Amino acid sequence: MKKWMCMNCGWIYEQEVGDPEGGIAPGTAWEDIPDDWKCPDCGSLKSEFDMVEI
Amino acid sequence: MTVMPRLEDLEDKSFDPFLVEKLSTGDCPDPYPRIHELRAQGPVVDGSYRKQFTDVPDVQMGHLPQVMVLGYDAVMKVLTQPDIFRNKEAFENNLGRSFGNTITVMDAPIHTRFRKIFQKAFLPQVVAQWGESVVDPVVNRLMSTFIDRGEADLIEEFTHHYPFQVIYAQVELEPSQAPIFHKLAIAQILSSIGAPQGPEASAKLGTFFGGLLVEKRRNPGTDLISHLATVEVDGERLPDDVLISFLRQLMNAGGDTTYRGTSVLLTGLLTHPEQLAAVAADRNLIPQAIDEALRWEGPVTSTFRYAAQDTEIEGMPIRKGTYINTVLASANRDPRKFENPDEFDIFRSRSTRHIAFASGPHLCIGQHLARVEMTRALNAILDRLPNLRLDPDKPAPAIKGHLLRVPEHLWVKFDR
Ligand code: HEM
Ligand SMILES: [Zn+2]
Repeated sequence: MKKWMCMNCGWIYEQEVGDPEGGIAPGTAWEDIPDDWKCPDCGSLKSEFDMVEI
Repeated sequence: MTVMPRLEDLEDKSFDPFLVEKLSTGDCPDPYPRIHELRAQGPVVDGSYRKQFTDVPDVQMGHLPQVMVLGYDAVMKVLTQPDIFRNKEAFENNLGRSFGNTITVMDAPIHTRFRKIFQKAFLPQVVAQWGESVVDPVVNRLMSTFIDRGEADLIEEFTHHYPFQVIYAQVELEPSQAPIFHKLAIAQILSSIGAPQGPEASAKLGTFFGGLLVEKRRNPGTDLISHLATVEVDGERLPDDVLISFLRQLMNAGGDTTYRGTSVLLTGLLTHPEQLAAVAADRNLIPQAIDEALRWEGPVTSTFRYAAQDTEIEGMPIRKGTYINTVLASANRDPRKFENPDEFDIFRSRSTRHIAFASGPHLCIGQHLARVEMTRALNAILDRLPNLRLDPDKPAPAIKGHLLRVPEHLWVKFDR
């Protein structure tokens, strides 16, 4: 299964969960997350995420 | 074949770092009433966290201007504003002396660069593979020493060993060298109380790891050290001093914490038998049990940052040059975020994430490994120690300490 993962801390974006505390509603597709959104754990920018097989 | 360098023991063979360590983390039975009192005074309170609980002087930090930052939102403000609240100055005279030039002692931009290289070796998909190859054999070996007895002290006989043995396996340490390795790893942090054995231990570990890197570069395998010794990111290799310092820190950052986290997890479950039964019946509950244990009794109760400019937290001024005791434990038990915060309850709402692994750029690199280790340990215990319960004839477990909290014993019985 492939997921978007923060390369600075290993946090994984789960589309069904979203990031409500960071203003991302559950169900939001990765492409629709704004570029200034930050990793909820370590604060890295969206550009630090890679698609990873887990 | 790899020729492993030899580790040298401390000059003074009678020096017992484990005893000295116990003295410095203290035996405070419960720091939380005091933590709640302090938080009620406001988000910023003068003084040091350590001083609330012990009279043992802090030779490295004691004389410096210090405040405590308390409560979830205030602590998050410190951890997520790394330009204002820096690591370098906060740690160069304590951890930096013990471990050297490790990523904890760095700020952006070099921190960002080196951290990414280390994190890559500890990403979830990487550490998941170590569950079976590294963690399970260690867990099984330790359990086999008591499984036929029907009773055990899960601290003395299990949790106090397994995360360290996972590290030994990763650095491919010869079993005969393990006691010296553990002793030196503990001794190096005693620089914080001025013990001369601190720098001695740091130097001896440095020599050992230096030799190991030379050997692994000559003869690389598939192990963690070979990977770190040869990995390149954007055409850059990790400098030796940064890598050696990271390895020095590993026993403390990865061993001491996971040992305590696992001990607290087992204590929480065993003192709440209905929750233990629920987890035993449904292993999907393990991740939330781990998170609740770390929220409830996180091993790292407080960490440091340094105010690099005049600033404020929730309207309270902080002067440039102040050392900030960032009290993670006060955030994880903030009643504004967690209902009945002092209760251990694996079924509580998880809408607020705990910060036992901190938050922001220095967030724990090893959290995914710690989760794998704790999951494997708990699963093995639930699978192989049926009808697990506290030993009614022995004292109940008592979590102690103000900084790195752990019970000394966890006496259990189980069916054979
Ligand atoms: C339950 C177990 C663990 C807990 C509670 C824990 C907790 C923490 C905390 C609170 C920090 C942040 C310190 C700060 O920012 O001031 C941290 C950082 C760190 N941890 Fe862990 N840790 C655990 C396990 C591990 C393991 C298994 C490793 C092994 C790789 C590890 C390696 C590190 C490293 C290298 C850092 C420094 C990261 C940086 O500065 O960028 N930890 N840990
Ligand atoms: Zn991240």
